[in-house]
Order: sequence, then C-alpha cells, then structure tokens
Amino acid sequence: MSAGACFHCALPVDPRDQYHVEIDGELKPVCCPGCKAVAELIRDTGMSNYYTMRDAPQPGVGRPANDAAEWPVYDREDMLAAFAESSDGMAEATIYAGGMYCSACSWLIETTMARTPGIVSADINPVTHRLRVRWHTADVGLGGILATLANLGYDPQPLAPESAARPELLEQRAALKRLLVASLGMMQVMMFAVGLYAGDFQGMKPDMQYFLRWVSLAVTTPVVFYSARPFFTSAWRGIVARAPGMDLPVSIAITAAFAGSIYMTITHGPSTWFDSVVMFVFFLTLGRFLEMRARHRSIDRSAALSNVLPNTVTRCGEDGQTTIPSSQLVAGDIVLVRPGESIAADGVLVDGDTAVDEALLTGEASPRPKSIGDPVLAGSINLDSMIQLRVETTGSDTTLGTISRMSERARYTRPTVVQIADRIASYIVVAILVIAAAVGTFWYITAPDRAFVVTLSVLVVTCPCALALATPAAFAAAGTRLAQLRLLVTNGNAIEALARSTRILFDKTGTVTRGVPVIEAIEVLDDGFDSEQCLRIAAALETVSTHPIASAFRTYEKDVAISDQSVAVGNGVSGTVDNEVWRLGRAEFAGAAAAATGVYLGVDGRLVARFSISDELREDAADTISHLAELGLRAGLISGDGEAAVRHTAGKLGIADYHANCSPEDKLEIIRTAQQNGETVIMVGDGINDAPVLAGADASIAPAHGALLAQISADIVLVGHDLSPVATAIKLSRQTLKIVRQNLAWAIVYNAAALPLAALGYVPPWAAAIGMSASSLIVVLNALRLNRFGAS
Amino acid sequence: MNVLYFLIPLALLLLAGAVWAFFWAVGSGQFDDLETPAMRIIMDDDTKPPESPDT
Repeated sequence: MSAGACFHCALPVDPRDQYHVEIDGELKPVCCPGCKAVAELIRDTGMSNYYTMRDAPQPGVGRPANDAAEWPVYDREDMLAAFAESSDGMAEATIYAGGMYCSACSWLIETTMARTPGIVSADINPVTHRLRVRWHTADVGLGGILATLANLGYDPQPLAPESAARPELLEQRAALKRLLVASLGMMQVMMFAVGLYAGDFQGMKPDMQYFLRWVSLAVTTPVVFYSARPFFTSAWRGIVARAPGMDLPVSIAITAAFAGSIYMTITHGPSTWFDSVVMFVFFLTLGRFLEMRARHRSIDRSAALSNVLPNTVTRCGEDGQTTIPSSQLVAGDIVLVRPGESIAADGVLVDGDTAVDEALLTGEASPRPKSIGDPVLAGSINLDSMIQLRVETTGSDTTLGTISRMSERARYTRPTVVQIADRIASYIVVAILVIAAAVGTFWYITAPDRAFVVTLSVLVVTCPCALALATPAAFAAAGTRLAQLRLLVTNGNAIEALARSTRILFDKTGTVTRGVPVIEAIEVLDDGFDSEQCLRIAAALETVSTHPIASAFRTYEKDVAISDQSVAVGNGVSGTVDNEVWRLGRAEFAGAAAAATGVYLGVDGRLVARFSISDELREDAADTISHLAELGLRAGLISGDGEAAVRHTAGKLGIADYHANCSPEDKLEIIRTAQQNGETVIMVGDGINDAPVLAGADASIAPAHGALLAQISADIVLVGHDLSPVATAIKLSRQTLKIVRQNLAWAIVYNAAALPLAALGYVPPWAAAIGMSASSLIVVLNALRLNRFGAS
Repeated sequence: MNVLYFLIPLALLLLAGAVWAFFWAVGSGQFDDLETPAMRIIMDDDTKPPESPDT
C-alpha cells in the first residue's frame, strides 16, 4: 500500500487530517473518522488478523457511509415482515453484504455475527455475498444486525424472503442426489460385476450367478429410473421438438441395455450388462453436474436491483413523515429524498431544487439540474438538496426496470454457438441410430443370437460421451482457471466468443478510467495568484459540496479561513475569504462572459483560475490495450460522455476508434453493425446503461465494482482492480478452443476406430463401456491441463 | 459362500440407509453451499488473534 493511502479503505489520506489507528503497535494512517472507527472496532474485538488476511481493497471499499442510515427503522414489525421470515420468537433473513470482496471479509462478518448476542447462526456465501442469518427476536432486531454490519464498513441490503428460494438451489439439490445414487449404485454393481466375470472364468454355481444378477438389477433400477431420468425427459423433449439431442441415443442405449439385462436375468441368458448401464449413467451424470456448477456460478438478480434502489423511503402523508419499505410505494405518494440518497421510483419533482446523478441510467457523467415539474428516475442519486417528488411508476415499470428487461431480452435473442452445436449433434445422433439399426439388421439376418449384444456394443461404443464431454470439460476447466485469474465466468459460451473475437469495445467511465475525478491541470488566469493559493481556496470552497467533482479537491490542503459557504445547485459553490466572495464552478457562475469547459475559480466577478478535471486512467489500461492489439484485437471506446472527453481518453490510450455521446441504443447499434460485418465483439462496461449493450455483444465483461445489473448481463465479471486479466482471458480462451479441438479429434478418432470393431462383433458390451469411459477420461484429463495455464 | 446370501442384502440395507441420510442432508440445506466450506478451512475462527503487538 502506498504511503498516503488509508490503512482501512485505501483512499488517499488528506495530509491535513491527523487520523491514525494503532494496530499491532504500529500507527497506521486512516482517511476519515469513519474508517478510524471501523478499524478500531475491528482491532478492539480482537480481529486485526482481518487486515493481514484480506486482499488489497479497491480504494473506497469498506469506507463507512457518512450518513448513518436509520437502522432502527428495521426493528419495526412491518419491516420485519417485509424482509424476514419469523416464527416463535426466531427470525431468519437474507442480507446482501455490499462492499465485501474477499474471504477475509466473510471471516470478519461471520465472526462478528457469531459474537452478537441473540444471533443463532450466520452463514455468508463469499461468492454471492449473501448472509443468511437466524436470530432470537427478543435479544436483537433486524436493525441491530444491519447496524453491526454497517459498523464494520459494509453496506448491508436486506433481501425480500422470496428471493431466497432460488430455482438453481433446487436444481443443485436434485442433481447432487442423482449423482450420489448413480455413484453408489455404480460402485455396488461394479463389485457384483467383478464377481460375475470371475465366475465366468473360474466357474460359479448357477444359483449364485442368478442371485448376483438379481441384486445387480435391484441396485441398477433406481440408477436408471432416478439418476438417468433427466436424460429420458430431455430425449423425449428432443423427439417432440423434432431436434433429437445427445440424450436420445443415450436413452436408447440405457433402455436397451437395461431391458436386455432384465430379459437375460429372467431367462438365465448368457450375460447381463448392468455394469455398463450404471457406469454409463454415472459418467454422464457427473458430466452434467460439473456443467451445472459452472452455469450456476453467476450473480443473482434480486440482490442487484435492491442494491441500486433504496430499501426504505420517507413518505410524506397526512400523518407526517413515515419511513416505509420501498415495496409499499404506490403511484401518487409524495416521497422525501435527502441529499445523497438514491431515488426509489420514477416521479415528478414537486418541491425543491437539486441536481441528480443519472450516470447509472443514461451514462451521462455530469449531474443534471432538476427543478419543480421535472421528471426524476428511479436509480438516480439526489446530490444537492432535499427534494419531494410525486411517485408515478414503481418497480418493474420504471425506466430502470425497463432497461433491465431490455437486457434480458437481448440476452435471450443472442445467437448462441450452442444452438449450432446442438444441431450438429442431432445429425450425429441420427447417424448413430441409423448405423446401430443397420448393424442390428445385418446381424439379425446372419447371426440372430448375437444381434442384440452387437447392437448394444455399437450403441455404447459410439456413445457421444467423449464428444459430449469434450467441450463442457474444457470450458469448466477454463472457468476454474479464469476464476483463479480473478475472472468469474457466468456464461460458458463467452469463452468461445472471446477466443474468436476480433474487436473489443470499452466503456469509458469506470472501465478504462477509475471513475474518480482528479485535477489534471491548473491554469492560473490572474497574475496576483499562484496555483498553490488557487488550489487551497478551491479545496476550502468544495468542502461543503457533495458533488462528485468535489472529491477531486478532497486531498488538497484547505487551511483558509472561509465563511458564508453555500451551494448553488447545478452551478457551483461560493464562500467568503478575506471579505471577498469567491465562486467555484461553471464558467458563467465564476464570472466568465460565456460558457466554457472546465471548472473555474473566480473572485468578485473576475476569473482567477481554471481547473481541468478528468477521470484518471487505470494504471494498466494502456498496457492492456497494446497487449490486445498484439493478440490481433481492434480496441474501441464507446461512451455516453461528450466528444472532447472521449477523444482525450482515446488519445491517451492509443485508440483510434471512438464514439462519443452514445445512448444505450447507439451502443447496441454499433455492436450490431460490427456483428453484421462478420466481427465478433467483446464489450467491457460497468454501468446499468451498459446492461443491454453487454447482453447484445458476443461476449461481455463487467468489472465487479460497477453496477450489479451490468454484472448480471455480463458473461464474465472482472474481480480485480485492473484490466490486464482481459488479455489473459483471451489467450486462455484460445487455448481452450485448441483443447476442445484436440478433444473432439480424439473422440472422433476413437469412435471411428471402435465403431467398425464393435459392428464386426469384436467388442463385448463391458469392453465397450470401458472404452467409452477411458476415452471420456482422456478428454477430461486433457481439459484439466488448462488449470496450469499461465502458471509457468 | 452361502454367507453372501446374507451379507449382500445387509450391504444393500446399509446402502439404503446411507442414501437416506444423504438425501436428508441435502434436503436440510447442508450441501447448498459447495464453495464456502472449502475456503473456511483456511480461516480459523476460534483462535483469538493477539491483541498485544507481536509478529
């Protein structure tokens, strides 16, 4: 950590402030009283190990909110009903812990929760950042639990109970049970099979053989009817939709082998194939399970929207101001919004003048002034002063809701490579069935007693198992490796798109830049002052402002006696120094004759200095872009910001292709045009306004610190602080496709070699099952090589 | 070898018991989170970190 960074939240420390915290006998600088309080709390509860275990934080993460939220409100009965399930003095709730980013955070939260009286259990999932907590309502309230989290520097968001019962969870439970039944069944039946095969060679009493076959049948039955059921239903769906998938020959092989074995068991036939059946089902179920795990590794929806919108609102009714859950808002309500709060519903301003930050919705970085009668949007943040608004639409009808629906639709209509793969697979499936039928007919004519066994061997040996595993195994391994490289893949298709990509588009604010304004240049316009003085006065003036630009001045010295400070909404700030009125803000406000870009400082109507404020580039942005160019990708910049700012950034990064003033529709159009020209496009963006664009691109990447809606729409979430993993991801994806091609080649060679042997009757079913498993194993082991990618 | 006629059904009964226990464990949510426990092992939460300065 650099010398001037806060020990707790890594933000730059104001040299004037003297906040320190003593940890392990060393005096550590912190940036604000809030961080000091959090760090002291962590130290005093004996958990300073947190600081040694955690990953380096993104600057600002973990810094407690200045405005103490009204946590006690959550102790009320109606709030408890809205956010928790309670019975018999116990309550259970799911809380999204905003601001946690590493496993040390989950340790800190769980340990603190466990020490809080009244809390029975607290489990946090470090991947989804959801805390599941159970407590005695008599000892502690929901408000107290949320306040405890907030005191640790996190931003807790209680989630509505229905979002807790997720369909993925039920799917995972069912898949686990199927896998267990298949694996235990396989072990048992294989054991009996060893006995039966030994009996074939050494001789065995017919009674014992008969008994072992019946036992195998008993164990195989649940494996076929329970574990293999998804294959049957999927095969049936394929038949109904006239697009037979891999599951059709699988189902036919399982059914045929099982039915044939039952027949042989009853009639005391020469052999049974229960071992082949269970082995087959087990390997397929295992493959499906691994594939499902990769698919579920996504961020869940409910947490995203509730993170953007406030949980509670202050409603002004006949009975005065009341705090109610946002979900109870209806059109026509009058709502009070304080500065710094986000707006819960679309509506019209009825009282107050302010500026709002709509960056998440429109991509417009600078605040929009709003006065009475102006519409305001849910998800925007009120910046300057207290306002009242009349609610017009709520929930999914708001602009925010519409944007999120739009991104869902874009995702749904995306042409996926999987569809093509499925179509090819259905041809292979038809081919296998035709070949098996032909072989069966041939043998039925020439040697009817062997026809069944040979046909079965053909079906098992040509099982597209290795073929089916070739792609998901490589993708799952790539997903694991990417996660180690701090890229969470939420959509496996993205890997293929990444590997084929020819063009990469970056959003500007918050993606290639840090999203934090800094002073880039100071131009002194009056000879009576130097830049040092100007900066000092400007920093002092900005202390009263909540405007994002004010944070650029935060780290500078401000030891100037100043009085009569005030904020002029949408214009700037003013104050009196040495009996002179200083103004800082827009050019006209500070004293210029005409509007100009930049932030101006003026005294008594004449301009003194001009500050160029810009958003600082990420340290590795330029390196990453030149790295991508080496990989043959054309980089582009698209942004909702003005032409000048975008050109400036593009110039610094060496990007020739940039588009400014883009609405989400424009961005989507740029991507669609490129796609129509045959390009594969990656989009990297972090705002809610990027969500439809991310979903429309062939592959999309969102930084984890950006809007959660963007992360949901994205195929890959970038966990770290820098952009360089993007280039690594592309190299890894290309390697993955190479492995997939090797796997497919192997599977095809194996099938091509095994099929004639099986058709000629040289392969008994057990050998076919072993051959199939061995070829699958080779495919999986080859895929696992990806786990070592880049670890040289 | 006749003992097998007794031991194999016994093994199947134990197997059924194991499956039942696993189904119960899955149903009660013990396997809902397959990622955290792997990380929890490296976070020993019952040793109280030293409050006085030392290495």
